[in-house]
Amino acid sequence: MDTASRGGSVKKASPLLFNPADYFTFVLDQEIRSIGHPGGYCGFALELAEQPDLERLQQRLDLLVENFPIASALIEPQGKRYAWVPTGQRIMLECHQCQPGEQAQQIQLAILNRQESLPLTLHWISSGTGGTLLLNWNHPLLDARGVKIVLDFLASDRPESFKESPSLVEAKLAQWSFWKKCRLFVKAKLHNREVNSLDSSLPTQEEQGPQTLQLKVRNFSEEESRQIAKLAQQHTGVAGRTLYYLGCFMRAMEQVGPPVAKAGYCIPYAFNLRRQNAPTPVFGNHVGCLFARAARDQVQNRQGLFEHLLAQYKQVVRDELDLAYLPLMWLGQWLSPARYAKILRKQHSGGELSSLWFSDIGDLSWGKKGFLGSPVTGMSLLCWMTLPPGLALLVGQLDGRLTLSYNYLSPAVDETWLDAVIAQMDVELLVEA
Amino acid sequence: MKEKLKAFIFSELIYHEDPASFGDDADLLEAGLDSLGIMRLIMFAEKEFGVTLPDTEIEPDNVNSLNALEKWIRQAGAGQ
Repeated sequence: MDTASRGGSVKKASPLLFNPADYFTFVLDQEIRSIGHPGGYCGFALELAEQPDLERLQQRLDLLVENFPIASALIEPQGKRYAWVPTGQRIMLECHQCQPGEQAQQIQLAILNRQESLPLTLHWISSGTGGTLLLNWNHPLLDARGVKIVLDFLASDRPESFKESPSLVEAKLAQWSFWKKCRLFVKAKLHNREVNSLDSSLPTQEEQGPQTLQLKVRNFSEEESRQIAKLAQQHTGVAGRTLYYLGCFMRAMEQVGPPVAKAGYCIPYAFNLRRQNAPTPVFGNHVGCLFARAARDQVQNRQGLFEHLLAQYKQVVRDELDLAYLPLMWLGQWLSPARYAKILRKQHSGGELSSLWFSDIGDLSWGKKGFLGSPVTGMSLLCWMTLPPGLALLVGQLDGRLTLSYNYLSPAVDETWLDAVIAQMDVELLVEA
Repeated sequence: MKEKLKAFIFSELIYHEDPASFGDDADLLEAGLDSLGIMRLIMFAEKEFGVTLPDTEIEPDNVNSLNALEKWIRQAGAGQ
């Protein structure tokens, strides 16, 4: 690794308190750290056909810290809450070279598996004439859509057009009367109780001992991706593509057999308050939480499952349960990380709520311009998760080609079992009715 | 009706530098309306205009522009 000094100072700014969604992700970060893992770090890897101008990239990183000091801030307690405290430290582009026979993915995983103190690091992993650009970040700093905006900032001809704006979660909360917030809070509590009543099947037992983060990436061709989109539309309508992935995964896991078999499946996923294509806010998390749930007998019937997930989602939006989590998250800010984590993770039975961590970042494209002039040829997504479930499925589509990134903890999740689930997931995604 | 739909779409779902210039036939899906956003839009329309939009009719042709949306909502009984 060729890394310039991590020293150097740009400028300091005042502490920035976590918004409710930042704290939500911080609590999970702490849970991951509590068993000796690096924390809630995520990675966004772009495969580039050519090496971009690395000097320009470094200049942009400097500008990022100058314009957004939070980018190199550290987390510190502020009373009962937590805040980002800017350090003014530069973020140095780290350059790596693949050795003969070494895959860029091995280096990506080494970066994700190392203990990191900075909230955001950028890596160029050189391989042949091109390579992989990896942005590694700690989740309380920003959500996945924010990362796309940071990448756009790094490559933009008009970086001055990127501006920070207040938390969307807090803006939404400010729109509501006290009584509306109370009503939503009660709704969310009742919904939580219901969600926790269906014991979740899991990909692994709670295992002790050292674990490493591993990754399996499944890239679909344009033709396959078109076919999947067509089938998703047939089964869950134009409004339910995310639900199609979730349903297919539940079925794949059920057919292979969950290592911890319980009453059903529960997959939380983010509801993002950012408007599509909005260049702001850049940093911070601006998400609520939704759940896709199904009992095991519902998972057996393919068409019935998709109808169930779609009806469930419609009911959630109709009852405003997507927004109901915002007041709950606001109150959660005053709970200790350990107490809040227990509420977020544990079911009435004491089991883990999430059968899987899931995120769908949607359609991305860098168009003909590519990233800093270099064509973007592929993409993969990485993230740490709690154990259990020890498995996360991250979905994204680059220029019409679907990519599924399966992140898992080894040895907690059995690789043979996961290979079988991935193969079955392919069948589920592509099978005609 | 179109103005209410437009205000909801550009304040909650899609960013556009100049929403006023976004045409009634312009493609909302190309502009970034995603699957979860479509469902929020449908729920907004059902509540705002007092109609039920059947799941079987949630198709790109009914949601890909403001004109298409308005036609679909009116067919479902709004304003009658």
